[in-house]
Amino acid sequence: MVSLRDSLHVVTDARNLDESVYEVFETMLGISCCNQPDTDSCRTEKEESVTAVVGFGGILTGACVLRCDAPGARFMAERMTGMELTAVDEVVKDGVGEICNMLAGTWKGRLPALAANCSLSVPAVITGSDYKLHVQSPEFRISRHYGFENVRFEMMIVCDGLQ
Amino acid sequence: MSEVRALIVDDSSVMRKIVERSLRQAGVEPLTVVEAGSGVEGLDVLRLRHVDIILSDINMPLMDGLEFVRQLRAQKLAEGVPVVMITTESSEEHVKQAIDAGAVGYIRKPFTADQVKRRVLPLLSL
Repeated sequence: MVSLRDSLHVVTDARNLDESVYEVFETMLGISCCNQPDTDSCRTEKEESVTAVVGFGGILTGACVLRCDAPGARFMAERMTGMELTAVDEVVKDGVGEICNMLAGTWKGRLPALAANCSLSVPAVITGSDYKLHVQSPEFRISRHYGFENVRFEMMIVCDGLQ
Repeated sequence: MSEVRALIVDDSSVMRKIVERSLRQAGVEPLTVVEAGSGVEGLDVLRLRHVDIILSDINMPLMDGLEFVRQLRAQKLAEGVPVVMITTESSEEHVKQAIDAGAVGYIRKPFTADQVKRRVLPLLSL
């Protein structure tokens, strides 16, 4: 039986998330991202934001979360599709959900035990303003901020169960 | 060059458009694309239309891509048509499951047009 607890230091290494973000954004959007300080955020809770969530199930349970403001979400979807998007519509939500899906898959694919023993849910996308994310009793949480041009976004890997 | 008809199966309309764009960038022209948002819809399409290649996601609601491929082979739909999975799942086990189900190729998301070209063109004899 595969156990992740012996390799927890590898699973929680933030560099795997960094490399996954760089790969997905470079490959699918043609964008080079860089890390941003966690305190470097212009977004307030009152502004409209888009949050995509992809769940993990199996040897690790939890979620991959991507959160950005509305203009950032539109920009990402525009780069993916080549379309001009003026609002957070179904295309934008679909696009951000797919980015989160690829990030989740790329991150878990870097860890062989996870790649073979952990599945992904279909993406869920939440839009709105003035809301907070809360995960109860996580085993671990990796939280990183990234940016490119005028866009800032946050990525989180949250684990609430580990075998 | 004769027209290529491709069925793209993915629950994301954005991803279906990206796959189509990648096929065109890979030089698959002239190209007609038929889209399906689920494995169930994909089977319905194949009962009515002939295609030359099928590209399918794995993680989809209602019917996942592996079951879609198993069903189209079991129902003898699209006989002889190559199926390529395009998916975030990357483990050897997932690849083996896809091949066992009846797929002949596998492209991991994220992907470049060049990766699509290298995987798809030989299947179309282009």
